[in-house]
Amino acid sequence: MSALDFLSPSRSAPETLASPLARALAGAPEGVRDLSLDGKVEVRGDLGRVELEAGDELVRLTPGRGLLLTENTLEAIDGLRENGLLAYDMTGALAGLAFEGETLLRRLTDLDPGALPTAGGFARVSAVVVRDDGARFRAYFAQELGHYVAEVVLDLLAGLDNA
Amino acid sequence: MRLPPQPGELIDRSETLRFRLGESELEGFRGDTIGSALFANGRRVFSRSFKYHRPRGLLCCSGHCPNCMMTVDGVPNVRVCVEPLREGAVVTPQNVVGRLDMDFLSVVDKVGGPFTPVGFYYRTMIRPRRMWPLYERFLRGVAGLGRLDPHAGHSRRYDVEHRHARVLVVGGGQAGRAAALAAATAGPGVVLVDEGSRLCGHDLPGVEELALATALGIWEGNLVPVDCGTVLYRYRAERIVVATGAVEQPLVFPGNDLAGVMLPEGARRLARDFSLQPGSRAVVVAADEHGLESADVLRESGVAVPRVVDLREGGHELEAHGRRGQVRRVSVGGDSVDCDLLVVSGGLQPAYALLAEAGARVEYDESRGIFVPTELPDGIEAVGSVTGEGLERIVAAPAYEGRGKCFVCVCEDVTTKDVKRAISEGFDSIELAKRYTTVTMGPCQGKLCQLPSIRLYAKERQVYEASIGSTTARPPWAPVELGLLAGRHLEPTRRTSIHFRHEELGARMMWAGPWKRPYAYGEKPEGEVHAVHDSLGVIDVSTLGKLLVEGPEAADLLERLYPNRFADLKPGRIRYAVLTSDGGRIMDDGTVARLADDLYYVTTTSTGADAVTAWFEWWNAVWGYDAEIVNVTGALAALNLAGPLAREALQRLTEADLGPDAFRYLDAKHVDVAGVPCLALRIGFVGELGYELHFPSAAGEYLWDRLVAEGARPFGLEPQRVLRLEKGHVIVGQDTDSESNLLSSGMSWLPKMDKDDFVGKFALEHFAEREERERLVGFTMEENVVPPEGAQIVVDGWPSGRVTSARRSEQVGAVIGLAWLPPDRAEAGTRVEIRVDRRLLGARVTHGSFYDPAGERMRA
Repeated sequence: MSALDFLSPSRSAPETLASPLARALAGAPEGVRDLSLDGKVEVRGDLGRVELEAGDELVRLTPGRGLLLTENTLEAIDGLRENGLLAYDMTGALAGLAFEGETLLRRLTDLDPGALPTAGGFARVSAVVVRDDGARFRAYFAQELGHYVAEVVLDLLAGLDNA
Repeated sequence: MRLPPQPGELIDRSETLRFRLGESELEGFRGDTIGSALFANGRRVFSRSFKYHRPRGLLCCSGHCPNCMMTVDGVPNVRVCVEPLREGAVVTPQNVVGRLDMDFLSVVDKVGGPFTPVGFYYRTMIRPRRMWPLYERFLRGVAGLGRLDPHAGHSRRYDVEHRHARVLVVGGGQAGRAAALAAATAGPGVVLVDEGSRLCGHDLPGVEELALATALGIWEGNLVPVDCGTVLYRYRAERIVVATGAVEQPLVFPGNDLAGVMLPEGARRLARDFSLQPGSRAVVVAADEHGLESADVLRESGVAVPRVVDLREGGHELEAHGRRGQVRRVSVGGDSVDCDLLVVSGGLQPAYALLAEAGARVEYDESRGIFVPTELPDGIEAVGSVTGEGLERIVAAPAYEGRGKCFVCVCEDVTTKDVKRAISEGFDSIELAKRYTTVTMGPCQGKLCQLPSIRLYAKERQVYEASIGSTTARPPWAPVELGLLAGRHLEPTRRTSIHFRHEELGARMMWAGPWKRPYAYGEKPEGEVHAVHDSLGVIDVSTLGKLLVEGPEAADLLERLYPNRFADLKPGRIRYAVLTSDGGRIMDDGTVARLADDLYYVTTTSTGADAVTAWFEWWNAVWGYDAEIVNVTGALAALNLAGPLAREALQRLTEADLGPDAFRYLDAKHVDVAGVPCLALRIGFVGELGYELHFPSAAGEYLWDRLVAEGARPFGLEPQRVLRLEKGHVIVGQDTDSESNLLSSGMSWLPKMDKDDFVGKFALEHFAEREERERLVGFTMEENVVPPEGAQIVVDGWPSGRVTSARRSEQVGAVIGLAWLPPDRAEAGTRVEIRVDRRLLGARVTHGSFYDPAGERMRA
């Protein structure tokens, strides 16, 4: 067992794991997806040395700090550390949510939709916000605030549906 | 009276809307405002004034003045002159005791003068003092405008939406529309905001139009919140164009607040927009062409206008006389004219407030008698009459004196007499007078009263207006619903990954800083305490702050951050750690475990994680050590399994050797528990054999369930507080404060003063040299009474100390606690007295733990 294995949910059997958004998103409308158990790795060091595997995505937070979104957390961490970078499994630290609609995004954050991905205020907490195709977005935020954020997103969606 | 269909009218006569005013069922048309519909139904008195309860009617019809504020569908202070009429609306008068046309509190207007002079709240109704409860009840009953229904709940939902614009134009008049169109030719991203409905019918290609929307202010970074009713748009604009125009100014004369006294735009809107005859016989008194032109509008709508007075010709006295609060006759220039409408205009004043908020200078233009904005900040432009462009010189007299009340400010019922008295009492600065008289502080926010009050000030003090200056413009530019500012009703709440399991188990949840945590799982926390002492308990401590410090110089960093030593800590061992500020005060505490030569795992208090992370990062930026600091608080759940049966229960879930020699007290080990990788820390905050398991938060509920299935009884914060108090363990922030240091807190063993340096060392050396001022000690009560936290400790009749924690411990068989005492009272066995409910109760000072002082149970 390595010194930081206790950070990695993927070291546990899948049936032992639960998303922090599971209760809030039960019955959520289509278009809202829970990404909390997807792999997330915080990378520290020279981000130019990060070698991305197919399907991986690196969100640069500062010149020396990034969030790697990957399906293969453990392999990615090993590879990054072998490459001289520091890497920490943040899968459990960050809840994630995918949603649709630019108006919804604008009600959640003052970040410029044209300047994503970036980190900033989101539903009054800190988050990393990523834009996918068109008006589809993802947000990653502290898991302990996850239930609250999911409640806000659903509440806003309900308001927009009724508007 | 409704006129025949007029060109350009805003009403749709084909659609009738019903609404209620009190018990009366009324009708209006689609396109009416509530104000115009009420006027069409013959209502002339719309409200009662703030202080004197005088009847007030439509004045501006532009949403500026307070005269038409009513409660609509339970929402108080709605300006009905601009509020669109809707089917089924329920309108009620406010600030009325009785009926609108018969307000009993109007007695204040008749006889209340001696009791309600300017600043009366400082000088009347304060004696005799024993009468104050009566006065207070009365004043609270009559103060304020409108009533909120405390039982109404969430009647509306409010949202905030963040938007970006290349050019934001505020004001949809001619100049604003032209500016927006010009900006749109250069590209997209142009937004035009107008608080009225002037944008209707204008084709503005490339411009996003927001009507019935009010720009509330301009903040740093070109932030402009726009009130759109139930959504607050927060615009960030690259460039802002202010085209807010100018505001008609009233005249100050006796009877100037009577119903039937209107500003030109008010009469014009009634006639042109809503096809209403504003009166049957009118007098027009104006100081500018704009005002005088209203006579033509009135005549076109069938109003007789027997007298038009141009104040620029000078020499006119003016007084309005009324009956039942409505104008009936006007004395002007020595003549008396019967009328039911008096249109007055004191000229136009640029509506510069938004520009002033943005940082523009505002100067008095002597040549025109108005204040104009100058020196606009970068990124802000002004167009149209807000700049003063095209406005005439104002020649109106500051005030026409007479027998009746002359109102300078109709919002706050401030009269010329009030202003003069304020000046005579020494409030000779306009900013001081504003606070004393409250002129410009009412709902119109100075739109209608700032210029008249400054003119009056200048006249009374015999100085120029320029030397008086203007009051500071502050947002919001227009009243805004508190609900809109508050936004969503959801508050950020931190929940552990086991939160809902606690709720399912019946835990009473409480706020602990930003977290929700279980207080206890039943009515009697004592049972949970017993479980920990006698068998096995488990508590969710996921809220603890958790940091990784990694790098070749991680040890050096911690050596300088903490007063005790960590370079010599062996991998797999743990040490208690207290963080001190550079002033030597206790900031936070926790544990530090060394996981590898270059890797440490630091825990902090539940509320300290963010501050400690910032503190570490700040110092590391100063010192430049090769070490990374990573906050993993949320990544990990943590459970403390404690009690004499902890080892055997945990052993059933792991293959790791948990024997006392293999896993010693203060060891840190990686173990798989029920298939979940854990960092297990053998530490004992609650004084029994215990293991703190740190593991991926996503497995929180699973591992909790497994431990409970092994017989661990959940315990909450309250039992934990009793248990830690029995051990005499300190909670930083509760038993310590911003003045507490390690020496006075009974932890003089902790700092290693032979280290080269650490944060707070210099201060601790100073504390060691100076005389000790107080000491944190334990105490045992002589009686079975729990003193409240913060209770005074009394020595020789003087307060000399304070209780920080106290609980009844069945294990110890007494009420125990921690307290700060003077050193000469802090010796073990000393008797002190604690004030509880006005009684002095005896207590004995103790040192060390109340329970298992040798620590044999947690080291078992």
